[in-house]
Amino acid sequence: MAGKISNTPATYTPSPTSQNKKRPSIVTGSDWVRPDGRGLHQCRPAFLRTGAVNSASGSAYAEFGNTKVIVSVFGPRESKKAMMYSDIGRLNCNVSYTSFATPIRGQVHESFDPYTLKLCSYFSPSTVIFCINLMLLVCQASDSKDLSSMLHKALEGAIILESFPKTTVDVFALVLESGGSDLPVVISCASLALSDAGIRLYDIVASVSMSCLGMNLVIDPVSEEESYQDGNLMITCMPSRNEVTQMTVTGEWSTPKIHEAMQICLDACTKLGMIMRSCLKEAVSAPEE
Amino acid sequence: MGLSLGEKNFIKGGIAQDIRTDGRKRLTYRPVSVETGVIPQASGSARVKMGATDVIASVKAELGKPNASHPDKGRVSIYVDCSPTAEPTFEGRGGEELSIELSTALQRCLLGGKSGAGAGIDLSSLSIVEGKVCWDIYIDGLVVSSDGNLLDALGAAIKAALSNTAIPKVEVAANASSDEQPEVDVSDEEFLQFDTTGIPVIITLTKVGRHYIVDATAEEESQMSSAVSISVNRQGRICGLTKRGGAGLDPSIILDMISVAKHVSEQLIDKLDSEIAAAEACDEEL
Repeated sequence: MAGKISNTPATYTPSPTSQNKKRPSIVTGSDWVRPDGRGLHQCRPAFLRTGAVNSASGSAYAEFGNTKVIVSVFGPRESKKAMMYSDIGRLNCNVSYTSFATPIRGQVHESFDPYTLKLCSYFSPSTVIFCINLMLLVCQASDSKDLSSMLHKALEGAIILESFPKTTVDVFALVLESGGSDLPVVISCASLALSDAGIRLYDIVASVSMSCLGMNLVIDPVSEEESYQDGNLMITCMPSRNEVTQMTVTGEWSTPKIHEAMQICLDACTKLGMIMRSCLKEAVSAPEE
Repeated sequence: MGLSLGEKNFIKGGIAQDIRTDGRKRLTYRPVSVETGVIPQASGSARVKMGATDVIASVKAELGKPNASHPDKGRVSIYVDCSPTAEPTFEGRGGEELSIELSTALQRCLLGGKSGAGAGIDLSSLSIVEGKVCWDIYIDGLVVSSDGNLLDALGAAIKAALSNTAIPKVEVAANASSDEQPEVDVSDEEFLQFDTTGIPVIITLTKVGRHYIVDATAEEESQMSSAVSISVNRQGRICGLTKRGGAGLDPSIILDMISVAKHVSEQLIDKLDSEIAAAEACDEEL
């Protein structure tokens, strides 16, 4: 009996450290395999569907591996009275995470983890108060405002804002499950939702990110790879116009490496653009129920 | 910015002909002045002026506990404040949005990748006792007066403030057992200098018409179609890149901008280093 009890633990304690696996030491070798068994330059399988939310003017759902995102577009609606007259339309973007999107509940977006302060016993009370104030200051801002502004910048270049003066279009993105490369998925999905809403675009917007791990460049990284990456490059582009609307780089890169990574990402964007296009075509040709 | 059609054309035409409204060429910076040690309460501080743009950066070092995910590393946080005293549009949401944009761009340009590779600040040098105690570095930027090119000025101010930073020497009590919080003794007299050789400079190339310029003034920024901020270190490697502005760019233009930024960065790093050294010498005399 006693042996039986010890075999089946009564309580389950999730280990938070399992999320932060140590970087494999063979990562620099050529025989290294990615956590999900993909090739280095192979994207995750994508599932895209428009019309996910009935009440929205347009919406889309995207699933890239474990990353699941839903985007709704509302409007164009009349801009708020307080805003000044504008002869071009406004774009309002918001990205939020569900509290169960990350392994640790309610964990804010990755770029803010330096702020998860733990109060230590040897701090003087005044320091503790300072820290709490700082935390509050940052936590207010951590409502993925950086992602929201990135989404705004990625989309504004693609929308023909002149086609809806004096009005505002709202783009709300919700990350249901965060599985790595969240921002590129949000951007691509938002562009599908905008097309579904009938907002005029110059071209569809496709976005792909790439991680640098030692000598290797891996496309469309998952969370685990992102947690030990040396650098990251994200490109958002309009494939048929061959224009980059947004690009970010972190970490140290040499120029030839940036060349290589940009080329791989642009090729992937072109392919993703074709998949998005076929998804939109399917939605139109499907018989109305 | 309220500009008449004539003024707009004058700015654009000047840039096309390589003579800007203040007489500069497209790739010339405004005179840069650096002052260090301006805030006595901080561990290090600097004030950088580029023309009418005026920013202050302060560095505060505090003892903290490292993150569970990176027990052998210290932490650095960067926050920028755009006060409405600099410009009325900074009040409320306008300033908040700009603050977040600048803070994120600076984090991207200075803190490197997740694993710490390519970071301007070596986070593992901030560790004191692994998993227990480390230095938390708080870098705060303040925009005093804004006349364009805030990101480059803030980047330069942070570089100067970090080279001005003295971190107290820390003694760790040897007898601490493994589960207890070790006792640390912070020295009041002995300080360590911060290693700033790896800290990159940020160069923003603003595209106006078909050409791009460095160190744009607010007037020139109002005419931009897009801007790319590139951070380059002394070895000429790219440490971060962000794009602003709506208009799309051809990939070949971005690559061209990167090579121009690398070229410009050499001069800027030399200029900044000599300015910082002069400011430090001046600071010591006082």
